[in-house]
Amino acid sequence: MTGKGKEEVFAGAKDIINQLAVIIRTAAIHDPGNIAVTTAVDKFLALLNPLIASEGELTLELGGEFFYINETRIRYPLEYLPNFDFLVREFKKRGLGSIVFKDVIKAVDMQTFFKAFISSVFSQTPFETFSEDVGNISSLNIGKLRRVKDEAEVGEVDIRREVKKSYFNAVSYTKGVINKIKSGEKVGIKKAKRVVEGMVDLILEQEQLLVGMTAIKDYDEYTYHHSVNVSILSVALGQRLGLSKKVLTEIGLVALFHDIGKIEIPNEILNKPTSFTDDEWSIMKRHPFWGVRAILRQRGFDAMSMRSAIVAFEHHMNFDFSGYPRTRKRFELDFYSKIISLADQYDGMTSSRVYSRIPMSPDRALSLMMERAGKQLDPILFKFFINMIGVFPVGTLVMLDTKELGLVYQSEAMFLDRPKVLVIINGKGEKVDSYIVDLTEKAPGGNFLRTIVKTMDPNKYKINLAEYLL
Amino acid sequence: MELVEDIKAAKDVVHALLKARKTFRMYPETNPMYERIIEDAHAKFRSFFDYRDELTFKIKQNELFCGSEQVYHSPQKEDNIALFFFKDGLRELTFKKEFSHNELEEFLKILTVDFDKEVVDDDVVTLLWERDFHNIRYVVDESFLTDEEDYETSAVEEAKDKTAGEDDLSRAYADAFKEEGVKELSIVPLTDKDLHTLVKELEKDAYNKMDKLLLIIFEMLYQAESKGDYEDVVHFLNDAVEFSIRHGDLATVIGIMKMTREVIDDPSVSDEVKKYLGLVFSFLGSETEIKLLGEFLDSGVEIEDKVLTEYISFLDKNAIQPFITILGELKTIPARKNVINALIFLGKKDIQSLAKGLYDSRWYVVRNIIYILGKIGDKKAADYLVKTVSHSDVRVRKEVIKALGELGTAGVLQTLKECLDDPEAQIRTSTARALGSIHSAAAKSIILQRVADANFMKSDFNEKKEFYEVLSHWPDSDVIEFLMKSLKKKSFFRRAVNDENRACAAYCLGLMGSKDALPLLYKIRDSKNKFLREYAYTAIKRIEHDR
Repeated sequence: MTGKGKEEVFAGAKDIINQLAVIIRTAAIHDPGNIAVTTAVDKFLALLNPLIASEGELTLELGGEFFYINETRIRYPLEYLPNFDFLVREFKKRGLGSIVFKDVIKAVDMQTFFKAFISSVFSQTPFETFSEDVGNISSLNIGKLRRVKDEAEVGEVDIRREVKKSYFNAVSYTKGVINKIKSGEKVGIKKAKRVVEGMVDLILEQEQLLVGMTAIKDYDEYTYHHSVNVSILSVALGQRLGLSKKVLTEIGLVALFHDIGKIEIPNEILNKPTSFTDDEWSIMKRHPFWGVRAILRQRGFDAMSMRSAIVAFEHHMNFDFSGYPRTRKRFELDFYSKIISLADQYDGMTSSRVYSRIPMSPDRALSLMMERAGKQLDPILFKFFINMIGVFPVGTLVMLDTKELGLVYQSEAMFLDRPKVLVIINGKGEKVDSYIVDLTEKAPGGNFLRTIVKTMDPNKYKINLAEYLL
Repeated sequence: MELVEDIKAAKDVVHALLKARKTFRMYPETNPMYERIIEDAHAKFRSFFDYRDELTFKIKQNELFCGSEQVYHSPQKEDNIALFFFKDGLRELTFKKEFSHNELEEFLKILTVDFDKEVVDDDVVTLLWERDFHNIRYVVDESFLTDEEDYETSAVEEAKDKTAGEDDLSRAYADAFKEEGVKELSIVPLTDKDLHTLVKELEKDAYNKMDKLLLIIFEMLYQAESKGDYEDVVHFLNDAVEFSIRHGDLATVIGIMKMTREVIDDPSVSDEVKKYLGLVFSFLGSETEIKLLGEFLDSGVEIEDKVLTEYISFLDKNAIQPFITILGELKTIPARKNVINALIFLGKKDIQSLAKGLYDSRWYVVRNIIYILGKIGDKKAADYLVKTVSHSDVRVRKEVIKALGELGTAGVLQTLKECLDDPEAQIRTSTARALGSIHSAAAKSIILQRVADANFMKSDFNEKKEFYEVLSHWPDSDVIEFLMKSLKKKSFFRRAVNDENRACAAYCLGLMGSKDALPLLYKIRDSKNKFLREYAYTAIKRIEHDR
């Protein structure tokens, strides 16, 4: 890095990516020689070339759902979300993983580039076609889409350990803070922020690992785990929406205390092993009110407490207001409430200690939530949510075409239908010391070594995910 | 890293940071010194990075280390830079070669936060995290965030204890061959419309959340089940009021009060609830809230008259005393004017409370209260005002006389008459003016009596002139006759004083436009007394030209 400070480089990088999306959208409608395209290209080059000059070389890379420039993840403001999302999809359609800008780029080269980019989508082998068409442009190279990071390279064990530590730290903190609030102590927000910041960092870098931690539900202290799980899932969803770190922290904090009103519910009801009576239900349904009360008593009025109180009140109201509490006046649900209620419902449904008492497998919960989308759940946010959780959520019991039975161990952001699986029964039907297989692995002939052929509910067989996944 | 030069360069950086920490906040960003402090410190960083790529400080409670060398030590609790970082769990801080001037400025802003004095919801680590420095790396110890030691191990052990039996796994394996195939949930594509809807929603989400929370609080009121619930709602509404005043958001306060009023006016709401809600109005007028309002008014922020008037309309009479208190404390004229207007409105509800301000130890407050009582115009105010005419401060006496004049009740005449004997000329003339504004026959009689008094002749010319000017308010035959008589009056003794009196009479007749006086005025226009001549001339001109 020479000349400019690194932070300045990355401040401008989001504009480059945004402009790239603008050109592709424009070029899809107009001929590459059209003034609308050429003007957009000129603007793009005016942003790009000075950076190439200062950095020597610029690599734009797609990793998971995010863009990186020279290995630094580029964050963007909300108004760029549609363009960033569009560009991710366009890259994926073509199997395009990276563009390396090596020298000052000319407008004519970019016109060739965009023409090839647009037409390649119609090819059977889009990346190869695109690569051939831009092969003559000496100032840039393109690379194929690949997995984000091979964890083996960066120390899988360390990362998993860090994720686990952060998760349990959060649960332990939540337990401490809830107990303090129960006993009438005043609780500051500084530590809570630190806990959530740690989770936000991990979600930004290792989203699937931390989200995977929420799949394990076999703890004794459900309340605390549920709070942390909802916080993680909400932050992960927020990240998918392109929200800033600061906003993600706020969502995480608000989510952590969404159920704080339950501290008023007697333990004998909260931990009742059978279904609730009507009276017990009516007590349960008071917890949104008690949540507002607990938060405002603790913190008084400030931006954070106002948000927390609103979410504590609204998180069971549902998108179509069919939930509770029923209010005299109809008002729009808060954006955070919509996010957190999705996370809350999902974690609740896949856990064994709330309301229905029968835990659902993740895929069954998602199917049910899909039916609710547009009614009880915000349909657009649900789309983001389901894409985040993945086709095969962590903890799903799967049968492979090799007749091995295993649990989904880790989702793969780039290849959602090919996660890592922890095999617990081998192809001969024998219980074995578990081992991990990567479903993206191919045989020399090019075929995948393993493919999921069946999904099952691990709860039905009392399979303890903690035993395998922790 | 432990070469002598390295350690020296690292110590230089620490010294530069310590120096910057002491002085950074003393200057506004526009001051050249502010820039100089950053530049001096950055120069030390640059020198360090001339031959090195990173500078790492290991942080102990009272020490900073570079490698194994101590580069800073302080046993103090105050002004201890190591402790400043250590207390929040920071254990290592690394600056990279590209550490920029802008980053240093942001870093210094963090380094100079006084966590003891400032209300900050963030600690040092959060502040560093939020800034997202590209060229600062840090290591933190998170163990102090939790109370329970090694929670992870116990939770994991407990969870793992619930292991399924082998039969369950075998059953699962057997079932895998029976069950249906993959129930794959497909990835749902997001349309442009979805994304635009979302962006719009996010933009909308940026608005203030208070309105929404208030709806919820009122909902809590309607669904309250106990006295405790009502008390909570009142408490939260009070908090919302205070929060809004602190943020200068008077419109929201008005909103809260309107909603509260609506509930109180709702016939279906019980009297008990109404009684509780009444407390919100009392709170709005409490000493604390009025003081906060005063601070806001004094801040110089422009407030629409309409907003303030509506705000004041929700106040109850309990706000009177707090307003009187802050009236003497406000620094700006517009703020005082606003409070005076508020008291004019509120004073009508309780003159007695307002009148208590007449006993305030600050003369300027008393004067303001007199003005307010005068503006209220309630006849009852006179009873309180007359007690103030003997106030030790002449400015207060002057104001009360003016106010009594504006009130004009019969009861004030005797007091005003007595004020004509005040030792201060300005009080006497103010009294005359007050009597003039009362404009009654009795008032006229008092003035006439005064100017006819032999001693009055000895008064200063300007005072006499003021009295005659007041007389011009009664252009009737009594007064004209008296003035003509004065004009004609000749004296061998104290001629100059007599001529002054005649000049005043001429002046008064001129003001009244009395044409009957013209012959006489023509006559004295040729007087030997220049003074008298001039006044007669002016009076003639005024009468003839109706000016």
